[in-house]
Amino acid sequence: MIASVAFRHFKALRNAQVALAPFNVVIGPNGSGKTSLLEAILSLRPLSAHAPGAPAVPRPRAKAAREPPQIDFRFSAPHEAITARMSCRSETGCDLLHIEPPGAAGWPALQAELATIRGYVLDHGALAQPAKRAAGAELARDGANLAAVLAARRAAAPDAFSALTEEMLRIMPEFRSLELDEHPDGRVEFGLRLAEDGLVPAAELSQGVLYLLGILTLAFNPTPPCVLCIEEIDRGIHPRMLREIRDALYRLSYPKSSGSTRPPVQIVTTTHSPYFLDLFRDHPEEVIISHKRGRAAHFERLADRADVKELMREGSLGDMWFSGILGGVPEE
Amino acid sequence: MKVALLSESPADESALRVLVEAVLRQRPGFVAPGFRARGWPNVAQVLPAVIRHLHFNTDTDLLVVVVDADDSVVHTARHDAPGYFHPQCRMCQLRAVHRQTTKRLPRAHGRDRVLRAVGIAVPAIEAWYLCGRDSRVSEAAWIAGQESGRAPYSRSELKWRVYGTDRPSLPQESACAVREVSRHRHDPRRLENDFPGFAALANDLRGALVPPLSDKKL
Repeated sequence: MIASVAFRHFKALRNAQVALAPFNVVIGPNGSGKTSLLEAILSLRPLSAHAPGAPAVPRPRAKAAREPPQIDFRFSAPHEAITARMSCRSETGCDLLHIEPPGAAGWPALQAELATIRGYVLDHGALAQPAKRAAGAELARDGANLAAVLAARRAAAPDAFSALTEEMLRIMPEFRSLELDEHPDGRVEFGLRLAEDGLVPAAELSQGVLYLLGILTLAFNPTPPCVLCIEEIDRGIHPRMLREIRDALYRLSYPKSSGSTRPPVQIVTTTHSPYFLDLFRDHPEEVIISHKRGRAAHFERLADRADVKELMREGSLGDMWFSGILGGVPEE
Repeated sequence: MKVALLSESPADESALRVLVEAVLRQRPGFVAPGFRARGWPNVAQVLPAVIRHLHFNTDTDLLVVVVDADDSVVHTARHDAPGYFHPQCRMCQLRAVHRQTTKRLPRAHGRDRVLRAVGIAVPAIEAWYLCGRDSRVSEAAWIAGQESGRAPYSRSELKWRVYGTDRPSLPQESACAVREVSRHRHDPRRLENDFPGFAALANDLRGALVPPLSDKKL
């Protein structure tokens, strides 16, 4: 797992560090570096695949005078001795990963873990699309091949598929089954059958139902990644349902709590929902606040605030955030 | 009798339904979906609107409100003295909100006002779930801890003792909550004895069964 990320001259993150927990929810105004944090983590995956120190693409001469962006990653045990330094040609293109110490014995194992990092910006339009069966068993970044993933999972991991279906139907009791229609031409479609009968095809499902199904598909993945990044986790979800979303993600981050023995998945997600933030009252260490001042941004863990206990006595975290007391609000 | 519940989660609501039935010794009609607040002080903020909604738009007889005490001042018998109000006691605050909200309401649906039953779980509802299972957990133990400056347990520890984790899923939490309070289904006196914050709720519930003086045939 990633223990910390430190940014230098990267977009709004001129000089910012953040320690990461097994579960991390990042809040802050637009343009405060939330997405930059997720993108930096996701960049680890392609860059770590190359030999340490070798550029992924031919590296043009760096422009003089200006210090290039740089991102340092540290890792938790058993890889705490390794540091990965990502060098960037510009604020939009990082193309080089140095590993310290060079030739670290644990690097191949860490490299294999980093290769599984995944990130998602789910889109309800994409989630609802029919997919080619051949599109694979792994969800596309926007969820575009959800139908194919469900079909592949039903075939290859029927227990995981049943657990996913069961959870979906528990949360949405107006439905009684998740149905897949596999066409001879290789297309797959899905729909949900209403408890009172009648199939609702994916294209006619509500946005919230599609997002929920997408998130549950990630949460019930029998072979999850080591790090999972999800943008705007609350998108399309009713405030009363956000607890279910948090629980689904906790299932990945804290597998022992749900009786699983598989390794935990580190989650980094963003939200703009005060209601979602309310759910972290008992775990302020899981909340990262992104502060923006002018064009520069930095991170702060909520648990690092000396007054966090007093603040939570006064009101809900969501209200505290909206009020501006926690920071992480736009400059007006 | 028609009862509305204002609670912090669906799991709390499931447990409260069992406890309300246990005290009333009858199965009332519950208003569904239940009303939800996002912890303290949101409960006190939404309470007036909930009371007015129930009074004017429904035929609800009784509103049950249960909140966690957290680190607030615990309600004691002294607070029940006429005219007494402790500004840091959540029981005193919720009762005051109900009193002020219902003071000038016109009659509606054949009653003067929606009755209230307020309970305070000290320090959290998981303490109620441990009643009869863990003798170290009681309101008296918590108050003694507050007085000595050493809390006997934390919210997180209570969750671990009840759910085996401090991050239970909602189904896990609901099933556990109902299982634990079901011990008191036939006799809630132990819970009333160990947790005066529950006893106050039980007294309010029993009081709601007694018709108001104006309705009695003299």
